[in-house]
Amino acid sequence: MSTNAKVKVVPCSGVGKVFGLMSREAVLHTVKHLCPEQADTICLAYIVTGDDEVETSIENQPCITIDGCPKMCSAKSVAMMGGDVRGEFKVLDIMKEHKGAQPGTATLLTDQGWSIVEEIAGKLNSRVQEISGGGRKE
Amino acid sequence: MMEEEKLKIGVVSCSGEDCAGGTISRLATRKMMDELRPDNTVTICLPLFLAGGQEERMFAKECPTIAVDGCDKACAKRATEKYSGKVSSGILVSDLIGSAAAEKPALSTRDITTEHQVMVDQVAAEITRQFDEIMAKNCQEQSKSSSTCSCRGNCDC
Repeated sequence: MSTNAKVKVVPCSGVGKVFGLMSREAVLHTVKHLCPEQADTICLAYIVTGDDEVETSIENQPCITIDGCPKMCSAKSVAMMGGDVRGEFKVLDIMKEHKGAQPGTATLLTDQGWSIVEEIAGKLNSRVQEISGGGRKE
Repeated sequence: MMEEEKLKIGVVSCSGEDCAGGTISRLATRKMMDELRPDNTVTICLPLFLAGGQEERMFAKECPTIAVDGCDKACAKRATEKYSGKVSSGILVSDLIGSAAAEKPALSTRDITTEHQVMVDQVAAEITRQFDEIMAKNCQEQSKSSSTCSCRGNCDC
């Protein structure tokens, strides 16, 4: 599989809240440790610039987005640049399953935060596997 | 009596996932908010310039802004200027810590070493230097038009 054919997993990486950091860490864990052969990531900041090069790299490519807040910056931006969004994850939805959890801050995660990040990464990995094995165009 | 409004300076980080410089830029920006200038630093998630509305796009028009970029693509500076307004200054992390260090693979905050923390401190120090320059300049301009200092003791006026 060529690098371009990898599923792009794009976090919002929001800098203001812990959920942005969780999205970022979940994606890094996914693409570095869980499925590096099938997935990689791309800077959302770069996507936002709208450069031709970045548009070419995600246009019609299978993408998964994960957002920390309801503004859905990653999902919206990837879709605007022509990415084929095959999965949209929201950290807030996953946090509903962990009521009362203290995941940390936008700077540092707690052990509980890391545990939830690994759970999110597991979900991202599952979606990557589904997409990779789902007969998408190579 | 209503408290006089403090001058806020925006720090916009690339937070890029392509290289270690993105992690350093993010952590240095957080250090400004958490420790160094917590009362005067504001930030905005960079993607909100594209995904958000008019309110977000007014950010760099309403407050002086420093863009902090992890690599020479300078996405934070370029995207801020494309969607919001001209930045007051820009910092390229790779200029401060060297391209070799900045271009290494993206770092998880779990893998931050003492060496990386030194880099974060170095970048944060440069943001602080530029931050204080902007604050002083704004303060001087404010002082010309009124008798009070808008930064409330954060300058040498």
